[in-house]
Amino acid sequence: MNPARWLSWLIPASEREFVLGDLEEAHGRRSALRRTWELVKVAWVCRRHRPRHLYYSLITSSRGDPLVTTLLNDLRYGLRQLLVRPGFTALSVLTLALGIGATTAIFSVVNPILFESLPYPNPDRVVRVSEVDKDGLPNGTGFATFVDVKTMSTSFEALAVNSQWQPTLQSNGDPERLSGQRVTRDFFAVFGVPPALGRDFTAEENIRGKHRVVMLSDGLWRRRFGSDPAIVGKPVTFDGIEYLIVGVMPQTFENLISPSVQLWAPLGYEVSLPWACRTCHHLGEYGRLKPGITPEAAKRELDLISGRLVAQYPTEYVAPGMLVTPLQVVLTRNVRPALLAVLGAVGFVLLIACANVSSLLLGRAMQREAEFAIRGALGAKRGRVVRQLLTESVMLSLVGGAAGIALAWVGLQGLKAIAPANLPRLDAIGIDTGVLAFTAGLSLLTGLVFGLVPAFATARPDLFTALRPGGRHTGHRSKRVLRGVLVGGEVALSVMLLVGAGLLMRSLEKLLSVNPGFDPTNLLTLTVQTTGTRYSTDEPVWAFWERTLEAVRAVPGVTMAGITSQLPLGGNFDRWGVQIEGKLLDNPEAAPSADRFSVSPDYLQTMRIPLKRGRALTVADAGKRPPVVLINEAFAQVGWGGEDPIGQKIQYGGPDQPWRTVVGIVGTVQHTALDLDQAPQLYVPESQGQFADASMDFALRTRGDPALMAAAVRAAIKSVDPTQPILNVATMDDVVSATTRQRRFTFVLFQVFAVVALLLAAAGIYGVLAGSVTERTREIGIRSALGAPRAGLLSMVMRQGLALTLAGMAAGTIGALALTRFLQKMLFGVGARDPLTYTGVVVVLLAVACGACLAPAIRATRVSPLEALKAE
Amino acid sequence: MPANLGEFEQLVLLALLRLGGKGYGITVQEELGRQAGRNVSLGTVYKTLFRMESKGLVSVHLGEPTPERGGRRKKHYTVTLAGRKALQRSLAALRKLSRGVDAVWELP
Repeated sequence: MNPARWLSWLIPASEREFVLGDLEEAHGRRSALRRTWELVKVAWVCRRHRPRHLYYSLITSSRGDPLVTTLLNDLRYGLRQLLVRPGFTALSVLTLALGIGATTAIFSVVNPILFESLPYPNPDRVVRVSEVDKDGLPNGTGFATFVDVKTMSTSFEALAVNSQWQPTLQSNGDPERLSGQRVTRDFFAVFGVPPALGRDFTAEENIRGKHRVVMLSDGLWRRRFGSDPAIVGKPVTFDGIEYLIVGVMPQTFENLISPSVQLWAPLGYEVSLPWACRTCHHLGEYGRLKPGITPEAAKRELDLISGRLVAQYPTEYVAPGMLVTPLQVVLTRNVRPALLAVLGAVGFVLLIACANVSSLLLGRAMQREAEFAIRGALGAKRGRVVRQLLTESVMLSLVGGAAGIALAWVGLQGLKAIAPANLPRLDAIGIDTGVLAFTAGLSLLTGLVFGLVPAFATARPDLFTALRPGGRHTGHRSKRVLRGVLVGGEVALSVMLLVGAGLLMRSLEKLLSVNPGFDPTNLLTLTVQTTGTRYSTDEPVWAFWERTLEAVRAVPGVTMAGITSQLPLGGNFDRWGVQIEGKLLDNPEAAPSADRFSVSPDYLQTMRIPLKRGRALTVADAGKRPPVVLINEAFAQVGWGGEDPIGQKIQYGGPDQPWRTVVGIVGTVQHTALDLDQAPQLYVPESQGQFADASMDFALRTRGDPALMAAAVRAAIKSVDPTQPILNVATMDDVVSATTRQRRFTFVLFQVFAVVALLLAAAGIYGVLAGSVTERTREIGIRSALGAPRAGLLSMVMRQGLALTLAGMAAGTIGALALTRFLQKMLFGVGARDPLTYTGVVVVLLAVACGACLAPAIRATRVSPLEALKAE
Repeated sequence: MPANLGEFEQLVLLALLRLGGKGYGITVQEELGRQAGRNVSLGTVYKTLFRMESKGLVSVHLGEPTPERGGRRKKHYTVTLAGRKALQRSLAALRKLSRGVDAVWELP
């Protein structure tokens, strides 16, 4: 194929033969590439030479169907109109690209999460089953309850529980701590996805003692096992124990419950185990409903079963009832309001873009009035002219859409970078055929939306005024009003977006000013996990924590160090029912629950958690000494009301656990989130805990930047035992800011959209005023000739622009008051009608509007009366 | 009164005159390079030729197809009377204006 010949349409048809001939003569037949390059250069240099030749050959006319011929004619004519005014075209395309691009980017984020069904067969049948806590909120499942429910219920095709599992892989290279799940047998059947290699777990492997088998994820199989096709049946060592690989899941299997999971092993519980109890709510339960069974019907059945269980074991449950929630709802519940708000916001941006282009087209239509008048005079029907104008606007929007896709792609990379951690299906976000179809449809629709108003306003001009010489300066009243309405609408939409962005910004500010209950500055945190058979009993684990703490305290720059079973804002909590001596309840499940922290004595000082009353923990509170406990103020209030809790005793973890004496009251730490009320909290010395925690979080107070200490601290821990994995190394400041990611995500998007909206609205105001000043040149000239002062002309134009802005702002404020309640869930510490935000928005908008009015106003004062009158 | 010629238009017209009615795209480009030391792109030459054609400064006639051109014809350009007049005016103006300023060349 000869590219030069293929590209020859770039050359005007009338010149094509000679130009191609010259090129061949100059460069010969062989150097096709050179000739192509020269041809492109010629085409570029001559691009303005009779453009109809250049571009018309793109659309060859058809002699067939008259409808097609008309369309082609419209396209050809439209293309010429767009090329004749490159400035107008570029501005419109850019505006549309912004609007369509932003919408496409947001849609491609929202689509896989909110609208697409989950990537499983019959996904609407996959549900989460939960027990309920005291407040009727979903709670995890105890194994004994799960076994009873599975036996008694008939609603499920498959029902399984799972727990988290962090094994350390000790085969095939360096030891590595992995994220896994322990599951009961039907786990994969719940999702309806069979393994790609090997087989599913068998019923026998559910039994304790026979459960040392694993299923690998596709990613782990590729990364650590070299995609070995004969992997099934091979042994692999985790935590010093040998497992047999039974299968590999397919690459397409998305584990939406826990996306980071790389492998699965059978749970291996039996009801006699202490941690398989009914009150051990640490398992996640998922099921696949039988065809035709709705979640509501399943819930009714489970409620009955739960009623029977509560009657049978009254001290093991707080209340009857269970929840059956579609998985899609479970996954999206937390992000849904934010995503819908962002989608709404981007819709506003698109509307503003449409209004802007509509207004530009109207301005353009005023200039083209004579053209349409002549067409009308020659007998063109109104519908024909409307079609012509719509063809032009749809062409604009399609070009804008294409540019928008490019913009969206760029925007998506940024969006993924700031996406909150709890956004599900992050990997499924991208520009796929679904998104492309959406954008194509959106572009067509926007083309029609912004094209209709100008098309109908233009299609039947008043022939007399339109064709009268000089008449173009008067006959546009209705179009001018229409443009004013469009721009006023833009201002109104901008107000709503700005208010939204302002409220979110104030919320973020308030959130960051919440006292977390500890001092996060200069604090390095990390997790150390004990793994291997050496640490299978409590004593060596305690000893390991002691020695590790000694080692990190010795690191230069570390001023204080402590360990805790749970760091604040780390995403986990460890909640226990607590009995108070002298206030025993018949049903321990109804007792108040508290978050337990198993800590080294100086942990609270390291974190600077304030001691309010009593005494702190000391090294003496260890081992077999009388067990002590610190409680927070919330616990003191819940447990004792006005009485003094110090010296009182509490018990948690069951009736066989010791009674612990409350020795001090400390401040409340924002453990689960900065913006949530906290449950009661209790701190016990780790050496007095009911068991040794296998994983501990370290908190190190440092002199200077804590991030710089990380390497030295790692080395210190490795010096105690090099085989124990160190994880989650982060400064506490980073941990705190990670919890605000979702708010930041929403805020950043609103901010971007609000700024774009503001710019577009300003451009709209400017466009209307500039057009109006041009149109009124003669009038302004006469006024000026009759002695109107410059200040008067300036204020005349400014008044026009500001009237538009104020009307838009009034409408926008009413809209914002009505709409911000949808943001309520994302606000914190600030009302949806926060006066400060509204005032700020009004001030910003007025300032921007004044700026946009100023240039045309100044131009009006410079109109020379002589020029203005001579021009006629 | 005919429009004034641009500098490049003057050069192209002079080149066409030198080529004696046989000028076309490539030969004009070569002549400009050889005689005036101007390396210009073919596109620039065409652009000027097209423009002067529409202004009526040059006229065209088609040559015969030749094999080295892939069987395509040449488009020969000849300077029209209007073109000659415009060129004369430009050159006369240049001559008049430059008369007596030869001494300037000697200055550093």
